[in-house]
Amino acid sequence: MKRSKRGFTPVLILILSAAALLTAALCVCLGSVNIPLSDTLSALFGGEGVSANTVNIIRSVRLPRVLCVAEVGAALSLCGAAMQGLLKNPLADGSTLGVSTGASLGAALSIAFGITLPGLPVSGTMAMASLFAFISLLIILALAYRLDHSLSTNTIILIGIIWSMFVSSILSLVVTFASDRLKQITFWTMGSLSGSSFENALILFVVLAAGSAVLLRLANELNAFAVGEDNARSIGVNVRRVRLTVLVTVSVLIGVCVSVGGSIAFVGLVTPHILRMITGPDHRILLPASLFGGAVFLMLADLAARMILRPLELNVGVVTSFVGAILFVYIYFKTRRAA
Amino acid sequence: MKPRKLTATLMALLLALVTVLSACGGSEQTTAADAAQTTEAAKADATAAPETTPAPATEATTEAPETEATTEAPTAEATTEAPATETAAEPAPYDGTTMTVTDMTGREVTVRTPVERIVALSAADCEVLYAVGAGDLLVGRGEYCDYPPEVADKPSVQSGYETNIEQIIALEPQVLLMSTMAQTEEQIAALENAGIAVVVSDAHTIEEVYTSIGIIGTLTAHEEQAQTVIDGMKASLAELSEKATGDGTQTVYFEVSPLEYGLWTAGKNTFMNEVAELLGLKNAFEDVDGWGEISEEQVLERDPDYIVTITMYYGEGPTPEEEIASRPGWDAVKAVANGKILRLEHDELSRPAPRIADGAQLLFDLVYGNEAQ
Repeated sequence: MKRSKRGFTPVLILILSAAALLTAALCVCLGSVNIPLSDTLSALFGGEGVSANTVNIIRSVRLPRVLCVAEVGAALSLCGAAMQGLLKNPLADGSTLGVSTGASLGAALSIAFGITLPGLPVSGTMAMASLFAFISLLIILALAYRLDHSLSTNTIILIGIIWSMFVSSILSLVVTFASDRLKQITFWTMGSLSGSSFENALILFVVLAAGSAVLLRLANELNAFAVGEDNARSIGVNVRRVRLTVLVTVSVLIGVCVSVGGSIAFVGLVTPHILRMITGPDHRILLPASLFGGAVFLMLADLAARMILRPLELNVGVVTSFVGAILFVYIYFKTRRAA
Repeated sequence: MKPRKLTATLMALLLALVTVLSACGGSEQTTAADAAQTTEAAKADATAAPETTPAPATEATTEAPETEATTEAPTAEATTEAPATETAAEPAPYDGTTMTVTDMTGREVTVRTPVERIVALSAADCEVLYAVGAGDLLVGRGEYCDYPPEVADKPSVQSGYETNIEQIIALEPQVLLMSTMAQTEEQIAALENAGIAVVVSDAHTIEEVYTSIGIIGTLTAHEEQAQTVIDGMKASLAELSEKATGDGTQTVYFEVSPLEYGLWTAGKNTFMNEVAELLGLKNAFEDVDGWGEISEEQVLERDPDYIVTITMYYGEGPTPEEEIASRPGWDAVKAVANGKILRLEHDELSRPAPRIADGAQLLFDLVYGNEAQ
């Protein structure tokens, strides 16, 4: 089982990044409207010989959306992988821990009460979403620590679910009071990336680049955590600092993702699991693999959301939850039987 | 054994107390004495509806001043006001006359006449009541009723999935008007047991709007006014249809929800679609049945000549029209390039109410405005 993991690494990352590029190309070419490949290419490079609306569909609608979807998928999946390592908990993820729901509440509050930071119009929503994601994580972990110092799977998941329900009830309350502005509660609960712009893609890119730089550099420390916190401490890892860094980074990433696309479930849970079966548990491979794998998974899910019922569109969260839940049960059964 | 017995007794007492509390509390604030009275009254009402019983008498007299306060809207006829005061003095003046109306689900509903107290849950029914001049009969309205503005003065009750039977019964209407959207059989049965006639008005086509106006006219004894309203609608729609020169090649896209929350449109089997066809236009999303969430790409691909949005404007930031025009990639859409975007602020084309004619006029002005003058 342990053979050739090292030599496998660069090849795997190459394969995954190639897969991500290919998927992105596929997602730009396919969509709700059928546009021949030749037209797509000329719309992308030049724009001669095709109608203005075709150019707009490719350049202003599909391209930014595919970019946003890829970045959100990468970010959520990276967060999932990092949290699973840090908490030594295979079920940890933004959606199972209630962090995404917390971020939704922050975003909804900022929209309902018009909270913004001076200068940037969208920054208020993103800052509030990140802040609430962080507060949610702190509350969940503090409660879990109180009950159970080892932070076992069951405790964290249970508290995560309770927190999620609690926050959902407050979210419903906020939506009831500010119903005119937030009438589409499904946007916050199921997630959708329609209407993404290049600005969103740019913000996501900056945050993702910074976040992944921080997390990828902590891969060794996460490996130590995955064995156990005491182990990490005894080999000289600054446990407190690493834990705080990971939690803050994860909160910011999830907060920004939620304010762009709503809370999209299961991406951060399923992709690291699938990839772990291929790469093994080493975070030095798993984290970059999750980046690309998450991007591919969410791009395909979004493609399905756009195509299945056209001209109608599904929320991408419907697709990820549906596929994710089935995959998850399959993986769970398979690993249980093997063990 | 003994402490356990004590605990059990205490628990039983607590349970009894909680039961009493939850029966007295609730959405309507009533004192315990009141509650006892109303229970009695309700019982009496349920068992012997036609006979007058002393219990409702006290109820009616205590309720009367409030009734007068709320119905201070100028009344067209003195006759509608007179029986109301009579109710206060002489409770339940039931003289045996009833009328039977067939509602829009085909149920035959028997209503005691004259009808003086109506609760309407849907915004459209409130509008129709005012349009036929029977707005003063309204004693309660659904929370989303917002037209005409004076409807806001009426007591508001929850509607739709949150319909609260308790609130409705407390207003003591004779008739409850509602649409079929979210009510269960059990809810309707509960209302009917409380002596409230449930009349369903649920129009999906303009023709059905006429039916619904007719039913409400009959119920309120305002048949003539109802007929005037129907004739007015028919005349203005016919005139617009006559004047409209479109041949069904130009397309209109109805935007029900803005891009920020995912685009929703109105397809076939909606009033918007019907009005578009009436005006010689083609709905860009004719292939969608009812309302649906659609892809942004599809709008650009179908390149509509006109866009109608019903997004509300809150007085800050860009208006919905500006927001549509500023979307990246939308500048080449014909409607955006020609500035043919219309915002319907007051649900003119989304409610089965007389103002559909106004909405049709606004759309007509957008499409043919310049040619007609």
